[in-house]
Amino acid sequence: MLSRSLSKHSALSNVLLLLCASSTYAAGGDIAEDLQVHGFIAQGVIDVSGSDFVNDEQEISTELTEIGFNASYQLNNDFRLTGQVVYLEGGNRYSAGARLDYALLDWNFYDSESWSANLYLGRFKNNHWLYSSTRDIPFARPSIILPQAIYFDGLRDVAVGGDGYAIKISHSSDNYGDFDFNFSRGSSNISDKQKDIIAGPEPTGGLEHDLDLQASLYWRPNFSQWRFGMSLLDSDFHYLQGENDGFTNGDFTYQFYTVNALFEGEKLEFAMEILQQRLAIDNFYFTGFAMDNIGQGFYTQFRYKFTNNLVGLIRYDDFYSNKDDKKGHELEETTGLPNYFGYQTDRTIGLAYDIDTNLRVNVEYHWVNGTARLTPLVTPNPELNDSEDWQMWAVQLMYWF
Amino acid sequence: MILLLCCFSPHILAQQIIVNSSVTVDSLTTSQLRRIYSMRQVKWPDDSRIVVFVLPNKHPVHQAFCKETLRIFPYQIERIWNKLTFSGLGTAPNIVQTQQELLDAVSRTPGAIGYIDDKVKGDSVNVIKISQ
Repeated sequence: MLSRSLSKHSALSNVLLLLCASSTYAAGGDIAEDLQVHGFIAQGVIDVSGSDFVNDEQEISTELTEIGFNASYQLNNDFRLTGQVVYLEGGNRYSAGARLDYALLDWNFYDSESWSANLYLGRFKNNHWLYSSTRDIPFARPSIILPQAIYFDGLRDVAVGGDGYAIKISHSSDNYGDFDFNFSRGSSNISDKQKDIIAGPEPTGGLEHDLDLQASLYWRPNFSQWRFGMSLLDSDFHYLQGENDGFTNGDFTYQFYTVNALFEGEKLEFAMEILQQRLAIDNFYFTGFAMDNIGQGFYTQFRYKFTNNLVGLIRYDDFYSNKDDKKGHELEETTGLPNYFGYQTDRTIGLAYDIDTNLRVNVEYHWVNGTARLTPLVTPNPELNDSEDWQMWAVQLMYWF
Repeated sequence: MILLLCCFSPHILAQQIIVNSSVTVDSLTTSQLRRIYSMRQVKWPDDSRIVVFVLPNKHPVHQAFCKETLRIFPYQIERIWNKLTFSGLGTAPNIVQTQQELLDAVSRTPGAIGYIDDKVKGDSVNVIKISQ
């Protein structure tokens, strides 16, 4: 599936490779300002005790690799071509391997002193949540593992972007501040591995992402250190029964709403995102099955710059898959799963140290209670995850240019 | 220019905002300059593209320019640029290593804007007035 999705964009990839190959030449030529080439490489060590978040064996692991390379070429005043290829390895968190992260044509169709509007055509990144567009960019996110309430790794591949189009409209007012409106419409290919991550290995059929509509609005008051935002997501999936399949054709509706606030002070930073989600499943487990749950979650995060090179982080991240069953007792009664599969709370501390310009090491520790944000999502594994409390630590070294 | 800048800043500012001679604009407000440097405005009024040049993040002139002129912390603007660069949404400014390189780049690139401290002589470029 991955190779298919890569080959689908082979023409764009070729253009990008050509652009990359010409970068050395361009650095000394007139088109240097039109071409930008950037990248990053990060490798870490992660150890999880008490859950299969990274691997089933729960052993110390180097499955924490992120490599990316992008190029952007300004074709003329209005059009730009850009793309990024990434290689990711995160164990059970998401499917491993190389992938085309984004590849798009950017049309700046309106620009004035106070308005700017862009249309992005192709494979775009989700730009709707605070860290959604930089969740795989090690140096541009607050921690190695992001708060799973919002940035659930199990849904990373479908949440990270889509194939279709996106629109960004920015307005700047001297009286009211900066406004950004984003809209996107598209869908993602779900690879077999990603199907396993969402649905588990037992369903033998295929999972399709039919449509994903997202919108978000951000506001920064004039010269303020605060920024506020909200986002809406509505997506539909369907499952097609496979051979010798214990599961039936099924429909999934996933809706996800967030509000967020960000404060960026000279030393202190604060970020918060609050979410409500709706997950409705028709059939799938058996014909006639119906479920419609509202889940909720949030995180609050503080970062403090001790020095120019050292930043500390403390965060509380909380998620319930059913707001009417926060302790998971109903879940236990109806499914036989332990009640702690109904919630997940993560208390995190971390440090980021800049060894040099563009070279950083991150280290963090997580104390987690509950297993609602583990994979597989729709067929959870209580044998591997037989502990309500689990912990993890991670160290990651990253370089970017 | 220094007098004008002093109107909204407690510090004596030492940066001059320079543009390529092709740029017809001769004054900008702080808000406009901030829009240009946060890549929210990417074209000049004549519809030509703005080509933004900056010094490295840790350069003292860059730090002073961000805090005193743009009134934004250097890490905030770097974050905006990183987000644009690594998500496909836009492009970041072009980084040059020294003020002389910046002056040279602005003087030879149509549509270019940059900043240098007032000790550097920039006869080949236009200096922009900054007002509140």
